Amino acid sequence: MTSNKSSLEPPGLSPEGTDGRTEPGELPEPPKHSRRTILTAVGAFALLGTATTVLGGSLLNPPSSTEDGNFSGETLEFLIPLASGGGTDTWARFIGTELTNYVPGRPGFAPVNEAGGEGILGTNRFARSAKTDGTEILVGTASTVVPWVLGRSAVKYSFEDLKPVVVNGTGGVIYARAEAGVAGVQDLINRDTPLEFGGISATGLDITTLVAFDLLEADVTSTFGFEGRGPVNLALQRGEIDLDYQTTSAYASAVAGIVKEGKAVVLMSFGQLNEAGDVIRDPNFPDVPTVAEAYETLHGKKPSGEKYEAYKTLLGLTYTYQKGLWVPQETPENAYELLRQSSEKLGTDTGFQEKASKVLGGYPLVADTGMADRVRDAYKVSGSVRSYVTGLLADKYNIHVE
Amino acid sequence: MLDSAMAALASLADPSLLIMLLIGTVAGLIMGLIPGLGGTGAVAILLPITFGMEPPQALALLIGALAVVHTSDTVSAVLLGAPGSASASVTMLDGYSMAKKGQAARALTLAFLSSMAGGIIGAVGLTLAIPLARPLVLSFASPELFMLTVLGVSLAAVLSRGNIIKGVSAGLLGLILGMVGTSPTTAEERFTFGSLFLGDGLSLVAVALGIFGLAEIASRASQRRGEKQTITLGGGWGQGIREWLTHWTQVIRGALIGIWAGVLPGVGATAGTWMAYGQAVATAKDKRQFGKGDPRGIVGPESANNSVEAGDLIPTLLFGIPGGVPSAMLLGMLLTYGIQPGPSIITEHLDLMYLIVWSFAIASILGALLCFLSVKQLAKLTKVPFAVLAAGLVAIMLLGSFQEGGQLGDLWIMIILGVFGWLLKSTGFPRAPFLIGFVLAIPLERYYFLTDSLYEGFDWMARPGVMVFLAILILPMIWAFIKFIRARRHTNLDDGHRDEQPEDDEAPLKNSTWSLVASGIFFVAFAAALISSASFSPEARLVPQLVSTGGLIFSGILLFIETRRRLRDRTPKADQIHAEETEGIRGTLPAKAGWTLDAKFALKTFLWMTGFLALTAAFGYLIAVTIFIPAFLLIVARARLKVAIIYTGVLYIVLLALPSLLPIDLPQGWLNTLV
Repeated sequence: MTSNKSSLEPPGLSPEGTDGRTEPGELPEPPKHSRRTILTAVGAFALLGTATTVLGGSLLNPPSSTEDGNFSGETLEFLIPLASGGGTDTWARFIGTELTNYVPGRPGFAPVNEAGGEGILGTNRFARSAKTDGTEILVGTASTVVPWVLGRSAVKYSFEDLKPVVVNGTGGVIYARAEAGVAGVQDLINRDTPLEFGGISATGLDITTLVAFDLLEADVTSTFGFEGRGPVNLALQRGEIDLDYQTTSAYASAVAGIVKEGKAVVLMSFGQLNEAGDVIRDPNFPDVPTVAEAYETLHGKKPSGEKYEAYKTLLGLTYTYQKGLWVPQETPENAYELLRQSSEKLGTDTGFQEKASKVLGGYPLVADTGMADRVRDAYKVSGSVRSYVTGLLADKYNIHVE
Repeated sequence: MLDSAMAALASLADPSLLIMLLIGTVAGLIMGLIPGLGGTGAVAILLPITFGMEPPQALALLIGALAVVHTSDTVSAVLLGAPGSASASVTMLDGYSMAKKGQAARALTLAFLSSMAGGIIGAVGLTLAIPLARPLVLSFASPELFMLTVLGVSLAAVLSRGNIIKGVSAGLLGLILGMVGTSPTTAEERFTFGSLFLGDGLSLVAVALGIFGLAEIASRASQRRGEKQTITLGGGWGQGIREWLTHWTQVIRGALIGIWAGVLPGVGATAGTWMAYGQAVATAKDKRQFGKGDPRGIVGPESANNSVEAGDLIPTLLFGIPGGVPSAMLLGMLLTYGIQPGPSIITEHLDLMYLIVWSFAIASILGALLCFLSVKQLAKLTKVPFAVLAAGLVAIMLLGSFQEGGQLGDLWIMIILGVFGWLLKSTGFPRAPFLIGFVLAIPLERYYFLTDSLYEGFDWMARPGVMVFLAILILPMIWAFIKFIRARRHTNLDDGHRDEQPEDDEAPLKNSTWSLVASGIFFVAFAAALISSASFSPEARLVPQLVSTGGLIFSGILLFIETRRRLRDRTPKADQIHAEETEGIRGTLPAKAGWTLDAKFALKTFLWMTGFLALTAAFGYLIAVTIFIPAFLLIVARARLKVAIIYTGVLYIVLLALPSLLPIDLPQGWLNTLV
């Protein structure tokens, strides 16, 4: 420390003055450089840096030519609006690595994580300034879709201004703790004590489950604030909560075991949307009734009305078409088609399907010719659905979407 | 079981596996050395390489890296006072003090040996935990996790080195800062001032590197001269190992705390490492040397931060719940191979489980050995004038912390917190409670609300686990109280050293206007937090209001003490300063004398950093580096022209090559969007 202190003279002092009081055991204070030396050196390097940035920009990234039928020499930049390490990140990196082998010209692959605002910041940035030549691709996921559906003021993007290249769904099941006195769907209603649902946040992926409960008129109270679905699953095993849902990829590790042991009961699956927009059974849970079927069991008629419409919309957005790659609407048709067809080839390749079965959670990559239209329909959120969902959040959960 | 274990060991004799393990270890060590990258960076760079490998090779590669990042991240913490990761900031407290006394090699030897032992104990723990993990994890319900976070926050008092009021104030302010962002229970934004960027909360890496790393750089960047004296190895390795062996209980305790913190989802490496440090301090009889180079302050935490990674693998593999980003990536990799984490992994993939255990243990040994061999070379770094190192460190640390979220805003926050960290450090506020408060803020609130809403009344207090924690919390207080009473009855004799005010050369601005200003900042910050939390919903405002009210009380006391001291000192002040100034010029009195110059230089350094960031925002990282580095080297560090040219040249080439070699993005500026 002594050496530290004694060298703390003001930088303006002349070097001779400092040399005079050098302590033994220390090297002398180096002399000041002349202004000319500093300016020359810094100026030269600044010039080098500027030259590299300006010229390097165009040398390393020659003007894009994505409309000539191949992407050779290009780099596909995936904007992942969430932090690295999550499910969406894993998905995007895996798909990106594989997809670039299928795109003619074998472009490079550059995943970019731009986290912030639960995915909103990065997606906003993409909507504002993404290149429209097909080399910049947005990774969309439920985290960015739900705030858009809710109409949060922070959201400056709209999925209606984007074109889907490929989509990939997921599914899930709602299950309950057996000890809470639940043997099947019928135990959801007419209860003495309501069932406790464990959630992360009412304005996230949980919203679809909450709408399902509202549709079924289930006797449920909710506690939010869990860190993730894994901790909710543990809380259910400890008996802290009674109801939980898990997505298909987590089913085997989180739910299958405790169901086998008789500790938990699978109540229903979310189902999937078919091409006509109806709820059908999830191919991964062919024996589990869907939310729509559960409604019939409980209430003796087919579900309908605004709640059911809202449920179907959310099912499409947060499950059937949950993850996707998007490009700006202005992307030239040639470039877009090239990407879409490459994705379609990738999705139908049996080698890839085998390799990808676990990452994709048993749901295919969808990029056929009709995909864009189906996705567009699914991503049309009517005003009544919006107002019902925000109303539900406000009335039942005291959350006012700003 | 033993068969599979041996079979897994035998399979590691396969050269291809060994090579993967070695590559992973080396990559992990290198990524650990670069502040800000750590485990996330190591796994991120290796993950794409594993696509296409067989599962055992891929696992050996990733586990190799994961096992050793916390071995090498100690290096910059000990030698430069710039922690390589948030959890390395713990080792920094004593390791860096030791290095400043010229015992860098001793500190590193202790740290590496402990890392190795932590890794091995972690691997053993992983093996034993396989049958025990489920009941262990399930027995920790929300009330126990809540008590655990309370215990962690109360470490603030233990870690405050004699000044409990300052320590608690810093801890409470850390809690408030940790609450910036989305509330865990109601999903509303708090203290974000409408900024979406703040909605996710502040980045831990940016906070830790700012509050410790940049603050250190600012206070030492004035050091232009290298030190002539050679670094003593402290009696060579033999003595290092012997000394380390005397602390074996600390090693084991640290490792066990680490495993435990890793197993429980939601605690995390940083908090686990702090807890290991806290218990070392709390259980030590003589606490005076902590923070000034006590070997126990290195051994326990270093052992813990390696075993945390092993502990973290338990929930990752057995429940599919990763405790951190690196293990989340590992989980993703396992899924691509069709290996489904979950309780059944033990029956279906037992061989892979043991492969992980062995890889972890072997990599820990290998990593420590490689570091060990380079101790002498590494310790030479301290001979380079700090100002010369500072230029590169600023560039690397900012680049490292940019990688997490890719937001330039993180870097601004880092510099602001750097200034604040410097102020805390110079005015004698302990920074450890601040960081631990920051880390535990959200878990504390989360588990409080979960406990409150899932249990009736105070039923949860009667849970056996909770009572154990209550005992751990309350008994020392009662003990301290009894001791206090006794001490009052029989004079102060046996408690004498507690009242002793050690000459604190770490805090040259203590009891000056600066510390009055610091107390004022605390007071204003708590008041502002209290006022702005009034607009939150009742659920979201409870904890911030409690914390800021507590903070107001503590910082109010501080403010009172400081003001009274100023008033009391007013009369003799003029003479004193005069005396100090004359002595300062002669350079004989180390402390107090040059404090204004010290502060001036530190603030100037922060201006340099701000300029660097402004250049980055305008012209991109590359241009900013090519201007900042030579200018800083020539003007501030007064390095020789040749040194400056080579230094900048090398950095320039590295920056050009880096993005294509590693998963690193350079911050883009306004100019980049034009070309």
